[in-house]
Amino acid sequence: LTGVTYCHTFDILNKKIMQRRTFIRNSTLAGGALLILPALKACKSPESLLTGNYFLREFGIDETLCHKLLAKALSKGGDFADLYFEYTVSNYLGLEDGKVNQSYGDISLGVGIRTVKGDQVGYGFTQDLTEESMMSAAATAATICDMNATATGSSFNLLKTADYYPLPPDFNGIPGTSKLPFLQSVNEKCFAMSPEIIKVNAGFQNGTKRILIVTSDGTIAEDLIPSGYLYASVVAERKGKREQSGWDLGGRHDLSFYTDRVVDEIAGKSVNNALKLFDAIQPPAGEMPVVLGPGVTGVLLHEAIGHGMEADFNRKKTSTYCTMMGKKVAEPFVNIIDDGTNMNLNGSVNVDDEGTPGKKTVLVENGILTSYLHDRISAKYYGVEPTGNGRRQDFQNYPIPRMRNTYMLGGEATPEDIIKQAGNGIYVENVSNGQVKIGEGDFAFYVSQGRMIEKGKLTAPIKDVNIMGNGPKMLSNIITAANDLEMYQGGGGYCGKDGQAVQVSFGMPTCLVKSLTVGGTQQKGGRS
Amino acid sequence: MKTGKEKQLSFSELADWVIDQTLKAGANDCRVSLSKRRLVNINYRDRKPEVIKEATTKNLNLEVFINKRYANQSTPDFRQSTLAGFIKDVIESAKIMEEDPFRTLPDPKYYEGRSTVDLQLTDPDYGSLTPEDRHKMVKTVENACLEKGGDKVISVEASEYDENYEEFIKTSNGFEGSVQNTYCEAGASMTAQDEGDRRPQGYNYIGCRYRSDLPSLEEVGTTAAVRTFDLMGGKKIATTKIPIILENRGAARVLSGLVNPLSGNAIQQKRSFLADKKGQSIASKLFTITDDPFIPRGLGSMHYDGDGFPARKRDIFKEGVVNEFLVDWYYSRKLGWEPTSGSVSNIIIPPGTRSVEEIIRDLGRCIFITGYIGGNSNSTTGDFSVGIIGKLYEKGQFVQNVAEMNIADNHLNFWKKLVEVANDPWKYSQAILPSLVFEDVVVSGI
Repeated sequence: LTGVTYCHTFDILNKKIMQRRTFIRNSTLAGGALLILPALKACKSPESLLTGNYFLREFGIDETLCHKLLAKALSKGGDFADLYFEYTVSNYLGLEDGKVNQSYGDISLGVGIRTVKGDQVGYGFTQDLTEESMMSAAATAATICDMNATATGSSFNLLKTADYYPLPPDFNGIPGTSKLPFLQSVNEKCFAMSPEIIKVNAGFQNGTKRILIVTSDGTIAEDLIPSGYLYASVVAERKGKREQSGWDLGGRHDLSFYTDRVVDEIAGKSVNNALKLFDAIQPPAGEMPVVLGPGVTGVLLHEAIGHGMEADFNRKKTSTYCTMMGKKVAEPFVNIIDDGTNMNLNGSVNVDDEGTPGKKTVLVENGILTSYLHDRISAKYYGVEPTGNGRRQDFQNYPIPRMRNTYMLGGEATPEDIIKQAGNGIYVENVSNGQVKIGEGDFAFYVSQGRMIEKGKLTAPIKDVNIMGNGPKMLSNIITAANDLEMYQGGGGYCGKDGQAVQVSFGMPTCLVKSLTVGGTQQKGGRS
Repeated sequence: MKTGKEKQLSFSELADWVIDQTLKAGANDCRVSLSKRRLVNINYRDRKPEVIKEATTKNLNLEVFINKRYANQSTPDFRQSTLAGFIKDVIESAKIMEEDPFRTLPDPKYYEGRSTVDLQLTDPDYGSLTPEDRHKMVKTVENACLEKGGDKVISVEASEYDENYEEFIKTSNGFEGSVQNTYCEAGASMTAQDEGDRRPQGYNYIGCRYRSDLPSLEEVGTTAAVRTFDLMGGKKIATTKIPIILENRGAARVLSGLVNPLSGNAIQQKRSFLADKKGQSIASKLFTITDDPFIPRGLGSMHYDGDGFPARKRDIFKEGVVNEFLVDWYYSRKLGWEPTSGSVSNIIIPPGTRSVEEIIRDLGRCIFITGYIGGNSNSTTGDFSVGIIGKLYEKGQFVQNVAEMNIADNHLNFWKKLVEVANDPWKYSQAILPSLVFEDVVVSGI
């Protein structure tokens, strides 16, 4: 699929479009473009990143300096200021035409300094961790205010956090040499599964992000955040026709996650899904019942409700959900959660990017809208505790409310009941990307693979069809959920908002949505 | 970082030093790219600054070729003391790769013949833009949008973004190139109260190389409000087969699904539905796409491409026929073809003679598509499906705004349905496209 390539080719043109709310699974794409994140060991070779005080040890960032920077950031007033130090090393190895022959790496190092006054933000950042450059960034942040200086606290306390992605004490990323055999194995397994496979691309992306957050109200938080995924993307050929498919697994893991079982699942799903597509028929067009299979279809929640519940949109009254708090939005069995505390999932956070510990936030409880997703600015606006959703792409960006792992709890039906109940419609198996318009609540998600449902039974495969709906309408149209909640275990999922990409995941039980618009080519009645 | 004072080298001096060190450390060849970007961004909401952001970023990218192996890494740290370790790391990363005989620097003969025409990419007045100017720009846009939006406004956000970019690239086999450009953008988005809980958000962001090429800032703000009104009351209609017009500024979203499969990568990796279509007609005779790198002040204008090959003007599609693939050096070697350049610059479809208004008058019932949502395109099969937002017309008369609808087709069918090209090329983009008119497209809704 070409979602990413498209952003790449026309990035200037579509800059603003990409700043809309979008979700893209990088990993379903072949090589290149956005996958070129990075790489490396670093400008220094730390013996271990886990022993604390990393930025002090490596870069001489001590409390005295932090005080000085925060005082500068608040030198013209403001409610609070914070410092976000980041050092990320990422690398990607790619296999093409049977050889692991692509190695890409990147180092991101710097500090972002933010001054906040009400809902106003001044932001400066620098890649140069010298006192002079950092003071200059702090002075830039201060320009949002024009009053007398705000005093900063006198001491800092280290935030104690839980650990949702425990790592061995000597963890220092995943070395390239240990990735090679996995890529070779994925390649061999894909080709071994079917003579119809003609091309295999595989990639192993991983990143090690070290952050230090220091706030003017005296919090210090440190975290070491692993990320990564292994993926395959295959092309199959049958009677001159070609089809492609892919799969990835990953999350916040060290190397021990990547086992033969993982390789088998990636190869198996990629190949089987590609082969199934040869039997795919033209998807239908128009309104019809849609059954979402378990797992990755949670993209629907991400678009249909998750973004709309991000509190910045509600504080600004630009979300369709801004008047619905405390109201019934769905059937009583519907419970939707955004969670930073799932073990090893792609959206989990020990601490968010402004010093709030990772939490679990219930968006919809028994059908009633219960909480927005807050950063510090919106929490203050609404007079509530921050929910730990203040996230950012990197030190070059200030935090805004973002989702983590968004899912719906299971119901009591079985998947078979639900397909039967749907009657005639479509069944969604795999989703590659989605998008939402916050104010209207209109959303779309792109089904790379699915099935027709005819007379209550799964029939022919379908593919490449966009599904449209309206968030609040869709929520009230979820009429049954099964007892099979599955979390998406991929590691290549990124959510884009205001030009910032962050890692997220989601989960979904099989469920039935009474009606959505299916964007196929076959007008209704076209298939007998 | 605890810095000792190091002598500040120019990009060119630093590139020479990196190449020298990389070759001494054992590489057969290398390419080094250095870049620096100064950016400023100001946002206003409710008539006060919401965000002020300013910074400089820099990046050094090193590509190493050693014993037919390859690695590519980036760092923001330009200090020679740490770059020595970085260079060793890149070489070590390359050494563990498997052999790939196709991965080399280009044959230097392909570097020859670069144009020296002045592309006018740097606004001579850029340096005189003051913080006060920037705030004034945003306030003007915001004010115009609020005024036009009137009592429908829930929220308006206006912004200004500008940057000054420099890059320098040098290879160990004789290529050297540099780029300097500026960019300035102004715009606004407006959220309006519609029926029920619908709060449509429309926007208008316009960017140029020269600030003086921006339309009037009042117009920028007013248009954001008008585009928001165009979303009010948007509803889906029954699924139908109908003529559609893709508005100039957004048409690239659909076109990209046709252009991306022309790449050497897609073709060699058997992921292109166009791989066997060279010389064949796959679209209407009205469909010509020119890749023109030499447009003065163009957002895609360039002297050299990603491999260092001289940029040249070329027709990618000519009167519906696939005329040229986008083949870079690496995939040209894998395919055994001549390279044609894998980069596109400014993409142009020659405009027609009539305005969109005139065309709509003659079309009967049609949808003018002004926005998209979701969607994707399968490069292997050519199937695409994308959500649309737009306006329904009947015999030239506006009927209603439409939302939550979708178009889907295969690119090999879709572009044959192109029946007219309007006279309105959108110049604030790398894709300088006019509005495009298609007949008999399935638009799904109710």
